[in-house]
Amino acid sequence: MCRRVLSKCSLNTSRLGAVPTALGSLSRCPTPLWVQTLSLTPSLTLPCPSSMPSPRVLSLSPESRAQRLPLRSPREGAAGRHDASPQPALLGAEQTQGPQPPLQHLHLHLHLPPPALPMPGAGQRHPRPPSWRRSAQARLRLCPPIVGTEAFPGPCCAEPGAAVMAAALRRLLRAGGRRGAALVAAAAACGPGPQTLRLIYTTTAAWKKNVAASGPEKYTEAFIKKQIEEFNLGKRHLANMMGEDPETFTQEDIDRAIAYLFPSGLFDKRARPMMKHPTEIFPEQRKIQWGEDGRPFHFLFYTGKQSYYSLMHDTYEKLLNVQKHQDQLAAQDLPPQKEKKNLVGSRWLTKTELEEMLLEKLSDDDYSRFIQLLQKLVMMPCGNIEENYIKKFSREISAQLQKVVIEPLKYDEQGVAFSTGEGRRKTSRATVAVYDNGTGKITVNGIDVLHYFPVLQDREQLLFPFQFLDRVGKHDMVCTVSGGGRSSQAGAIRLASAKALRSFVTEKEVEFMRQAGLLTVDPRVKERKKPGQEGARRKFTWKKR
Amino acid sequence: VHKKRYQAIWSLTVCILPSQANHTEHHEGRHYSIPLEEVKAVFPHGLPYRFQQQVKTFNEACLMVRKPALELFTYLRNSNFAHPAVRYVIYGERGTGKTMTLCHVVHYCAKQGWLVLHIPDAHLWVKNCKELMQSSYKKERLDQPLQASTWLKNFKTSNEHFLKEIKTQQKYVWGKRESTEQGRPLGEVVEQGLARVRSASDAVGVVLKEIKQQCHLGSFRVLVAVDGVNALWGRTTLKKEDKSPVSPEELTLVYNLRKMMMNNWNGGAIVTTLSQTGSLFKPSSAYLPHELLGKEGFDALDPFVPVLVPNYSQREFESCYHYYLHRKWLQHEQARTEAGKEELRFLSGSNPQQLERLAGPL
Repeated sequence: MCRRVLSKCSLNTSRLGAVPTALGSLSRCPTPLWVQTLSLTPSLTLPCPSSMPSPRVLSLSPESRAQRLPLRSPREGAAGRHDASPQPALLGAEQTQGPQPPLQHLHLHLHLPPPALPMPGAGQRHPRPPSWRRSAQARLRLCPPIVGTEAFPGPCCAEPGAAVMAAALRRLLRAGGRRGAALVAAAAACGPGPQTLRLIYTTTAAWKKNVAASGPEKYTEAFIKKQIEEFNLGKRHLANMMGEDPETFTQEDIDRAIAYLFPSGLFDKRARPMMKHPTEIFPEQRKIQWGEDGRPFHFLFYTGKQSYYSLMHDTYEKLLNVQKHQDQLAAQDLPPQKEKKNLVGSRWLTKTELEEMLLEKLSDDDYSRFIQLLQKLVMMPCGNIEENYIKKFSREISAQLQKVVIEPLKYDEQGVAFSTGEGRRKTSRATVAVYDNGTGKITVNGIDVLHYFPVLQDREQLLFPFQFLDRVGKHDMVCTVSGGGRSSQAGAIRLASAKALRSFVTEKEVEFMRQAGLLTVDPRVKERKKPGQEGARRKFTWKKR
Repeated sequence: VHKKRYQAIWSLTVCILPSQANHTEHHEGRHYSIPLEEVKAVFPHGLPYRFQQQVKTFNEACLMVRKPALELFTYLRNSNFAHPAVRYVIYGERGTGKTMTLCHVVHYCAKQGWLVLHIPDAHLWVKNCKELMQSSYKKERLDQPLQASTWLKNFKTSNEHFLKEIKTQQKYVWGKRESTEQGRPLGEVVEQGLARVRSASDAVGVVLKEIKQQCHLGSFRVLVAVDGVNALWGRTTLKKEDKSPVSPEELTLVYNLRKMMMNNWNGGAIVTTLSQTGSLFKPSSAYLPHELLGKEGFDALDPFVPVLVPNYSQREFESCYHYYLHRKWLQHEQARTEAGKEELRFLSGSNPQQLERLAGPL
């Protein structure tokens, strides 16, 4: 009885990207999908097999469709499913929760593109969404339901590594509610009449879109707004999870929480899981530039580069302003203002930054013309009037303005001056105290340097900072070092002693030390071993056959 | 000006001191040279290998006068030879100059006319022995013919005139046909040992016994100089034919030497050196007497006078540096500068061995 009903039910399962495994798993599945979903509504009676006429598609009523369909195309849907990619393990965990199998399957349905396929002989024909394409290939009408072990369709998100798992959880619940409602509605709609549920299987070719041709993804305003809402909610959930106050949960706290919950050893920070405000993740896109009647809003629209030309126009206007001001001052015989804006610590916007600001592509020529215009504006004697305007296009180069604070000398009980320093190299960490009025005696972890570093090379490394400053026999040193091997420990102590010696030495010599590379942390670490290779670079022996 | 100053310093640090007994404190830090013929005579087998190479390169043997040696000289000068022999143990970290100090003492005593029993490295007797024979004299002991014969040869070179003077006090039978009568000079025993290698170890034992018996008479003084004395009470790497390990007492040479090291005789002194370098089964950071000697050795040698040999002091370092400079051993132009000297001092840690190794490639 169970199997017969099974054969006559139709329920769309598509998105069968990883179908073979799903199919395989199906054979082991205890209860078919649709039976479980129907179990939500115990009031429904199972249709009597004998009375079933031609099969009909379930739940294709417009209301249910409207509720169920995502508002975007399947491609967008894929794009928007950035929440699909939170660690499979996590949602896998959720999947294995016993009491919620219906929700699990409902969740599955959420990520499926809208069902299609009116059945022949079906009285209701519903408009299919335009993106839905029929495929000439076989659609298995009679097909056992698929219980996807993977809840997420294969092609994952476009955005690298974005994860909002709380949003996913909510999505689950909401989906369940929505789907359940849809089903109930659908079931209710088709309640009295003879029910025919049939499963449809379609191939991926049916709904696969040509990604390259569609250009960059478009995000509607509503979508962005929804993302922002979800982000805020997710933020609150995360704050709850971490046991902090949701009201005062800042972006740094979010970053820290995500780094704690999803630790990643990847070197590139952009590849690690992140949870940022949608405005930072989704690039800004231009709104539609013309109105309902097709008339463009901006007067320079037909130049093709409206933002660029309008920017040039505005800048030139400022230039003319300045010239007028200058002429006025000259007319009044007042000397022109001499205060120039100091351009030393600032730079103009780069071409990429300008493109981001204008939201349209520029050519190198355009960019250079703009910069030349800005330079001209600044060079003029009264350019200071338009300082606010110019500030929008300049950035401070902050790295040069950072000053490293050199600690002053400390004095211990005997009145001997000393200073401390810390250094690291690979995995070693060293702390060093360099004492004045010494004889060149060095103690490492309580052991004399000759015993700790029997190799000459390590001792040469320790010698280097002192020799550079011509202070070879003048200081004593007491070091503690841990981690790493002998060479990296020597390097760590060298860096630490160089940092400690800064306090004893003039600023010029500190600059010399910096240029000699004594004060720079050596960034080289062991490179990761890659799969398919024997080491980081070494490949396996190549065999011709 | 540079040359004058350089020569002045040279005369301060390196001078051909009379290699006589009058080394006092104000000579400390200076080098003194030994004529090469004397070196061959006194040190057939005592000097460290690297020092021998240096002697060959420089064509002269120059030793630095250092405080531990001077200390030992005062002790030896003031020792009462009616009392039992005092044992001196020279110890120190690796490469600080223990063997060189011992050699200095040996040379001093040889110059004074003592009979010197110099065992260059006792560790050689407890490891890497190719031929181990069962002793004919005592069944449970093992002989080492090769080591014994080399030692006898060197002993002969260093103490020629004593061998004629000392007479045996009993008859020794070496085999079926060989024997040494009573009253024969010790030289014959040595010849016997050299000729019949099988009985070389026993010959060594006889020599030691005779010397011990006769030195209290006062006609000559005996200096027992053993380098690496901790080998006598440590472990060996030798194995018997049934693969069981050999303990040091089972070796004839070691057994006889141990008897020599006891302080039950008078008329001489025992100067020994501890050495980790050749030692077996001892960690490289061990340099103190009780670490290297073990309980057994310590008890056997107790009481002794410990003499610590430290790294170079400032003055000694300068002296050594200028000696190398004078000998044109340091060729690098930066080595001649003050900065170069500081660098050498830092990198070697004022350790004589390290300094010598560093100066090599320069």
